Amino acid sequence: MDAMNTGGTRTVGYDRVVLPGGRQLSRREFEALPLRERVGYLMEGTAQFFNGATQVTAADAMKG
Amino acid sequence: MSVAVKAIENTRAALEAIVQRAEERYEKRRQEIFRHTDRLFSRLMIGQWAFAVLLAWVVSPYAWQGMQKTIHLHVWVAVLLGGAITSVPFYLARTRPGEVATRHAIAVGQMLWSALLIHLTGGRIETHFHVFGSLAFLAFYRDWPVIVTGAAVVATDHFLRGILWPESVYGIANPEWWRFLEHAGWVVFCVSFLIMSCRKSDKDMRVMAERGAELEALSENAWRNSSVLDRAAADAAGR
Repeated sequence: MDAMNTGGTRTVGYDRVVLPGGRQLSRREFEALPLRERVGYLMEGTAQFFNGATQVTAADAMKG
Repeated sequence: MSVAVKAIENTRAALEAIVQRAEERYEKRRQEIFRHTDRLFSRLMIGQWAFAVLLAWVVSPYAWQGMQKTIHLHVWVAVLLGGAITSVPFYLARTRPGEVATRHAIAVGQMLWSALLIHLTGGRIETHFHVFGSLAFLAFYRDWPVIVTGAAVVATDHFLRGILWPESVYGIANPEWWRFLEHAGWVVFCVSFLIMSCRKSDKDMRVMAERGAELEALSENAWRNSSVLDRAAADAAGR
């Protein structure tokens, strides 16, 4: 998983999440999910986070 | 029990524990704010009481009945009614801090203090600013129903005194019948923004608590993905 952009600056934060089954959510929609559900995705590592076109790790996504 | 079933149960238990801790962090922070604000108001109540007695003493210390000098009724009002207004919120703040009833009693008491100070100053418009200051102080609780309680008390007070004793609240004997609506309108204006601010602050507290839970979940995920040897080494280091 590439968490770096071409300029070498670490990309943090996210604006889009892809959940298991291909369901795509905006950041606002993801944050509106019940905490239990969000924590479940993060514990299982099954959610993919994107900042623009760049995929970021869950850890970096949560930093921004 | 198979290893897979046990792993699933462990994951579920860890998830519940993380969510529970987030809720506890949120509630703990709220309680800290409630108790701190209760203590603040208990001191403010005493300060207002002393101020009201001083005010009554300075503004109208004596009345004259023929040749006899007597202590003005306002001094007694400040001492006795002020004491009564202070007693319940002060007692609750000291004995039952953080409880819902305590902060609503404080809201009632604080707005009654506004009413009493307005009365003691003969309805001076400047003393009406105490109402807005009090509503802002009540927003320290970050619990919007408390502000609604305060606003309801001040609106009721202005309405009733405006009918029964207008000099006491407006300083004149014959104000327009709608004068209380003008005051209430400014209170609604102020309160609507304070309520928005309280709701935002409360939401921010929850977000902070949930952010902690998300970080815990990431840590749990990293732990589960680490090798058996890594875990054994970490366990050994922890002992």
